[in-house]
Amino acid sequence: MIKLNDIVVKFGDFTALHNINVHVKEGEFFTFLGPSGCGKTTTLRTITGFIEPVSGSVVVKDRDITHVPIEDRNIGIVFQSYALFPTMTVYDNIAFGLKIKKMKKAEIDRKVREIAQKVDLSDEQLKKAVSQLSGGQQQRVAIARALVTGPAIICMDEPLSNLDAKLRVQLRNELKKMQKDFGITTIYVTHDQEEALTLSDRIAVFNKGYIEQIGTPNEVYNHSKTEFVCNFIGDINRLEDEVVEKLVATGAAVDAMKHNYVRLERLHVNVPPQPGQVALRGKVTMREYYGLYIKYYIDLGSQSIKVIEKNDGVRIYEEGQEVEVVIDPRDIMAYAPGEEAEVGA
Amino acid sequence: MTQRLDRKFHADWLLRLVGIAFFAYLFFGFMLLPCLNTLTSIFNVKNSSGARDPLAVIRFFLAGSMGKYVWNSLRLAILLMITVNVVGISIVLLTEYFDIKGAKILRLGYMTTMIYSGVALVTGYMFLYASDGILTTALKNAFPSFNPNWFSGFNAVLFTMTFACTSNHMLFLRNAIRGIDYNTVEAARNMGANPFKVLWKVVFPTLIPTLFSLTVMTFITGLCAMSAPTLLGYDSINPEIVRLAGSSTADESFPQARAALLSIILAMFTIVLLTVLSAYERKGHYLSVSKTKAKLQKQKINNPVANVLAHIYAYVLFIIYMTPVVMIIVFSFQTYQAIRLKKLDLGSWTLINFFGQQDYEYLTSRGKYKTRVGSISGVFSNEATLGGIKLSFLLSALAAALACVIVVVACNYMFNKKHKKSGVVLEYALLFPWLLPTILICYSYRTYFNSNSVWYVGNQNLYYAQNVRLLIIMAYTVTKLPFSLRMIKASFYAIDEELEDAARNLGSSPLRTFLRVKLPIILPSVLAVFALNFNALFTEYDMSATFASTYGTSYAMVIQAMCAEEGLYGYNVNASGRRCASTVFIMLVSGLILYLVYGVGARDLGERLDARKRRHDRWDRFLSLFAKKQTSEVKG
Repeated sequence: MIKLNDIVVKFGDFTALHNINVHVKEGEFFTFLGPSGCGKTTTLRTITGFIEPVSGSVVVKDRDITHVPIEDRNIGIVFQSYALFPTMTVYDNIAFGLKIKKMKKAEIDRKVREIAQKVDLSDEQLKKAVSQLSGGQQQRVAIARALVTGPAIICMDEPLSNLDAKLRVQLRNELKKMQKDFGITTIYVTHDQEEALTLSDRIAVFNKGYIEQIGTPNEVYNHSKTEFVCNFIGDINRLEDEVVEKLVATGAAVDAMKHNYVRLERLHVNVPPQPGQVALRGKVTMREYYGLYIKYYIDLGSQSIKVIEKNDGVRIYEEGQEVEVVIDPRDIMAYAPGEEAEVGA
Repeated sequence: MTQRLDRKFHADWLLRLVGIAFFAYLFFGFMLLPCLNTLTSIFNVKNSSGARDPLAVIRFFLAGSMGKYVWNSLRLAILLMITVNVVGISIVLLTEYFDIKGAKILRLGYMTTMIYSGVALVTGYMFLYASDGILTTALKNAFPSFNPNWFSGFNAVLFTMTFACTSNHMLFLRNAIRGIDYNTVEAARNMGANPFKVLWKVVFPTLIPTLFSLTVMTFITGLCAMSAPTLLGYDSINPEIVRLAGSSTADESFPQARAALLSIILAMFTIVLLTVLSAYERKGHYLSVSKTKAKLQKQKINNPVANVLAHIYAYVLFIIYMTPVVMIIVFSFQTYQAIRLKKLDLGSWTLINFFGQQDYEYLTSRGKYKTRVGSISGVFSNEATLGGIKLSFLLSALAAALACVIVVVACNYMFNKKHKKSGVVLEYALLFPWLLPTILICYSYRTYFNSNSVWYVGNQNLYYAQNVRLLIIMAYTVTKLPFSLRMIKASFYAIDEELEDAARNLGSSPLRTFLRVKLPIILPSVLAVFALNFNALFTEYDMSATFASTYGTSYAMVIQAMCAEEGLYGYNVNASGRRCASTVFIMLVSGLILYLVYGVGARDLGERLDARKRRHDRWDRFLSLFAKKQTSEVKG
């Protein structure tokens, strides 16, 4: 569907994108994830045509669109600020692209109302100014405006970033549902890993103009390909040398020469170790209460380690309490410094 | 596709070339060259034997008699800096900061200078305080020893300008004080500071940047004062330049070069002051760090004596501001007899000062009665006055619109990321007139274009006959460019870059994006700037007086003339009445414009839609009432 082949983008002397290769499949929800300045928005703007790459090509449905003008690409965009025209009503905002295509008035009206109904905007709301709508309604207008011209692809540039936390979660669900209903190929840019994990079919993790990994949410989270990815996604413990040595001493298959990581939820407190698992003694130094779960900071003597336990009311540990942390060496993700990962399990 | 791109590329280039040519023409032709000509003319003086003597004017200046004008202007500027700040800060604090009873009414009074200024205001003050003014006459009748000429010269200019120049305080200082985060005041009170301590230690420091700008602007206003010194008789720089410009070598030594020198001195002062101001502004302001600002609440003055004194002070200021306005309005509806006797005649009101004509019967020196037909006439029936209004209306509207169009085109160019460097050059070119006093620009135009040898205006003498109107339009436009640029540029920042991207993505061409997306966003600001430009130019005096031409007699000049010609040989019998009526007319026009700009124009689409809905609802309720009545009648 969309193929980015060896895309290189430069701003003056600065290379913003180094040989980016991505293949997005038809109907897929594909996310570009990464910290700010990593090149994810630049890649999106290269696809939409606002940026022309120095080399490489953008191919959509086997057609090379690298040098096609923005307006001829047939790609819808939902902007970070939504970019709704403040001097037009909701109706006129949605109808803008159709008017440019010189459609008949009746046809425009039919299409606007049809899409408005699909994104759940009432006739009353169509008459309003965009400033009179709530954040969520504005987002729906932005989506309707992007979809009404029937684009092959829709691109969204951090569309949830300027909303408050609760609304963000609510709209995230709506967004996913809408994408499923419309079945449209979607490229989504975000720096929020939770958003990426919950929404996407596949994720590309960006760092400093390179793609570190492309994979499903599970692959990216549980089998992070690089040290950067495992650090960027989710919370994680880096096991220091003394702990690693203790593990090696028990005969576990851990390579002391590598950087070893283990996710918080893969560790358990005061449970009987299964065959192959190792128990380490420690002391609870701090406890963070999150409601859904509790995060414990446990001092293992040589390092402090974070563990998450479901708040099921059974296993609650006090600060200062002596405990045993159980670790399964197969859950450890190990990276040779400067090399790609060898992921266990 | 390549062909299409090629065509687009060529059209782009052509457009760019036309643009560069236009702005170069404007900058070099109507800003730089005329002013450079003025500068060089100082050194092109010929002595009596016809030889060039570059330093003659400088020697003349150092010898003495010209220094008076510079000193007088400086004295006025320095004192105004103090008095205007005292009054300006007072009126803002009294209406916005302290809890004074009747603050809303007081504010209206203090804001009256926003609807009439310049000649209209000065003649208004003269109507009250001049030797034959209403108040002076009343005082003289009460106290025969009272000096009727008390209101003239320096004191009169200082008094008038002190109250006339507080409009900027009312606009900018008021905004600054309203922007204060009330939580900071509460925090200071909570820590034990009394209201005056809070004012001094917490509020004032945040106002300093605004006050600094206002002070510099007031200083420049004082230095470049024109209408008040001219009408009230004070020898400052500007009136002298105008006098010299109209003089000839037959009357005095090198008047043109002296005028040029004075205007250059004025320019140097202005440039230094504005450089200081922008250096200060660049240092940065105190920015409020709070994300949730609390609205300022009025502070009660707890000390009863201070409270009473503050109220008295507030109302005395109110009376000073309001008296001329009230008197002018009242007397504009009075007959010429009442005005001449300076006595309000509550029994006879008339509209003759506004509309219509009347004959005037008078006794000649030979003891016969004669009738002068149509000698009493209203603003809209008097040929000269109506001519002035029409001319000023046309020239101001054209210039105001031209300035807006030029600035919008320039801003659209400047805000394109591709034109960063050339955009800065363009911006400075348009801000250039800001550095120069208006009089320098106008004087330069008058002397430079008063010849047939300026090739780029087709070797036409622009200071000849009707051409002078063109010259006035250009002067109006050029002097309004900096203000228009500052205001309209600010509105361009409101255009989110993503809006442009969104429109392009939806297939919109750059022109369509400009017309349909960007222009509607900036339009309220552009219209506001147009209205404010028009408002300032419509009653403008300084520039048209510098051009002093029969074909360029602006409305303000007509008003000024009305001060002198009243009843002379039985002509223009009601000149004073018409003057009052003119001022009332100006107040109405300005008031309407300010209402449209700040009242209606400030609403966004949502507010407009809400207002429309409310109107519809009211109409529906009205109709339903009517329908109910009808049905009940049918039933009955």
